[in-house]
Amino acid sequence: MLLAVAACWLAAAVASGAQPPAPLVPLGPTTDPATGLADSAALRATVYGTPPQDIAPMPARVPLQQIDIALPWARPVPEVFWFDRRLRVWLSAQDEPAPLAIVISGAGSDGNTSKLSLLRGALYGAGYHVLTMPSPTYPGFIVSASSTGVAGDLLQDSRDLYSAMQQIIAHLPHRVQITDVDILGYSLGAANAAVVKSIDATEGRLHIHRAVMINPPVSLFSSMGRLDKLFAISIGSSDAGIERLYQMLYARLANVYRTSEQIAIGDSDVLAAATMVLKTDSEYSAAIALNFRIALMNVFFAGDLYAGTGAVVDPKRPPRVGDSLEAITRALRTKPFSEYFTRVFAPYYLARKPHSTPESLLADNRLEIIGDALRSNPDYYAQTNSDDLILDQPELTWLEQTLGKRLAVYDHGGHLGNLGDKHQIADMLDMLAGRWTGSP
Amino acid sequence: MRALLLAGLVAVALCGCSSQSLSIRRLPDETPAADNAAAIKHAAELAAAAKQAVERQATEDASGAVTPLTAADAPSMYTYDPWERLNRSFYRFNARFDDAVFLPVADAYNRLPWPIRTGVQNFFLNLAEPKSVVNYVLQLRLRSGMRSAGRFVINSTLGIGGLFDVATRFKLTSDPTGFSATLARWDMHPGPFLVIPLLGPSTLRDGVGLLTDYGVSYEINVADLYRGNQAWALGVLDPINLRANNDFRYYSSGSPFEYETIRFLYVHRELIEDDALHAKAPRKARDPGTPAGR
Repeated sequence: MLLAVAACWLAAAVASGAQPPAPLVPLGPTTDPATGLADSAALRATVYGTPPQDIAPMPARVPLQQIDIALPWARPVPEVFWFDRRLRVWLSAQDEPAPLAIVISGAGSDGNTSKLSLLRGALYGAGYHVLTMPSPTYPGFIVSASSTGVAGDLLQDSRDLYSAMQQIIAHLPHRVQITDVDILGYSLGAANAAVVKSIDATEGRLHIHRAVMINPPVSLFSSMGRLDKLFAISIGSSDAGIERLYQMLYARLANVYRTSEQIAIGDSDVLAAATMVLKTDSEYSAAIALNFRIALMNVFFAGDLYAGTGAVVDPKRPPRVGDSLEAITRALRTKPFSEYFTRVFAPYYLARKPHSTPESLLADNRLEIIGDALRSNPDYYAQTNSDDLILDQPELTWLEQTLGKRLAVYDHGGHLGNLGDKHQIADMLDMLAGRWTGSP
Repeated sequence: MRALLLAGLVAVALCGCSSQSLSIRRLPDETPAADNAAAIKHAAELAAAAKQAVERQATEDASGAVTPLTAADAPSMYTYDPWERLNRSFYRFNARFDDAVFLPVADAYNRLPWPIRTGVQNFFLNLAEPKSVVNYVLQLRLRSGMRSAGRFVINSTLGIGGLFDVATRFKLTSDPTGFSATLARWDMHPGPFLVIPLLGPSTLRDGVGLLTDYGVSYEINVADLYRGNQAWALGVLDPINLRANNDFRYYSSGSPFEYETIRFLYVHRELIEDDALHAKAPRKARDPGTPAGR
């Protein structure tokens, strides 16, 4: 089973942004080897997120509408995805004319995550209409809005996002009066946001003004490669490693509750507790790697199903709505991103892009494809952390050289570990308003 | 008439509303400032609880009263689900019903002023106290039973029929229990995973517990609420109140593996609760090859 991945609690907690105040087990010197990919502070910030006391001021109330829309170009929906027929996005509209901020979620996430909730609150409080959208790697988007079904191509995914945005904006209630359009995104959504703005610069259908990237990858595939490595180092590449992690977590969680007066466990408590029992860098790394692996499983499955590549799904006998997916999840959970690339992504795109090679496909997924626009257009901004674990030093240097003063680099925060923080939000709003003058 | 209404609701659920090309649903407002203030408070409470748990664990370890579990004591990470096909169809039905009927009603209910909603929630919590008393007695947890009985008396009188939770001000906090917990106390396994139509993920033990709890409440029949038309009103309002206070959304993960995820979370959480319940009992060896819950 999927989250059979042992620590599904823990991955769910990381994904949901559960924010326990501190590790439950006393932190001593770590005995596990460091992963070498990020330091302890970065790993912990990535897992725990911004402490609630450091969150930027938020408005008292934010109205919210859920919009479900069927897109005219949607591909036939495989039976097992029956619930993902329509694209779901969320809108918070001001009562008076206002600029629209479109926010794109991170890899594998939907358009209503806790991170998006923070951004929505801050943007609505600053006077924006806010439209939050899922990542093009979220299964609901792949099924309802992707023109290929094979997610991960930066340009194609962003084109699909751009088309979906046009449809959504055309169907917004008439009382929503838009004076300007800006775009933001975090993690993979940051790269998508920038590419969408560059597409709009050519096509001019939405007139997107400014783009702010929050913790963007420079190369999707090298970032995923780093996370694959994190998984291999902290968990291992076989089922045995996953089983070990699960058993360790189970015993620690059970021991917490065995010595507690509380016996009935609330839904959110168990998620918070799961992150609180982590002790070593290796365990923090495992939590982060697992979170990405789970997102990848959905992308891998959907891609294989749509492309008919037969990596985990028999194209002649695709699973039906009531079928058990246990065998497929067991197969998927040990598969790294590199295998998605070689068995699904590359075969699909090599057949459709004349003269392409695996190397050219990798190159096409770097932010460099819009490098000229990023260098010369003053309306692109970015925020990142010097210890963001999805970037290596050359990639950070590339961002600094490309964006210059339009890049804010914070000392600490890991990957998205300071999203919602007072400084991050204040700088983001300054960037969107064109008030940003330089480093924090 | 009632049967027709029920059939109509089921038909709507089966069709779902996802055939429309566009739907815009107004949700309850988000309250980020209040949520963050609550998160700060909750973080402080969790920190205090964490500190206490670590201290208690050290004391218990030293006294030997509670033997800590090791990784070898963990159950299999696979879950016992012999009725998977049926469960999956109930899960799908519940998702459709939720989307077409339950959530729109719960969203509308959530727009009522909070004092009304709090009053309704207090009322149902109070109504559940008698079956908690019975189960605490069966679990031989008489102090908890007394607390539950005290809550019921105070809230039913000073709290005007349970609309106000006055007992909490007397430091008698709510801690409901049921027959499933009683069966767990008697060392019964959760059993197979079970998805109950309209109610959602469960286990066989929880399902039996739920039915028995209803039977107990029906027999006690507080203020004759479990008979006649008022029973119907209760049967409609109680699930709406429950749904409105539960953030779970079917398929919000967008994942085709959501069923597996929920099954894993539900059953393994219950197993952790069982392990907590029997903390002072001798540990039983678990066969790692046996699916969890079996």
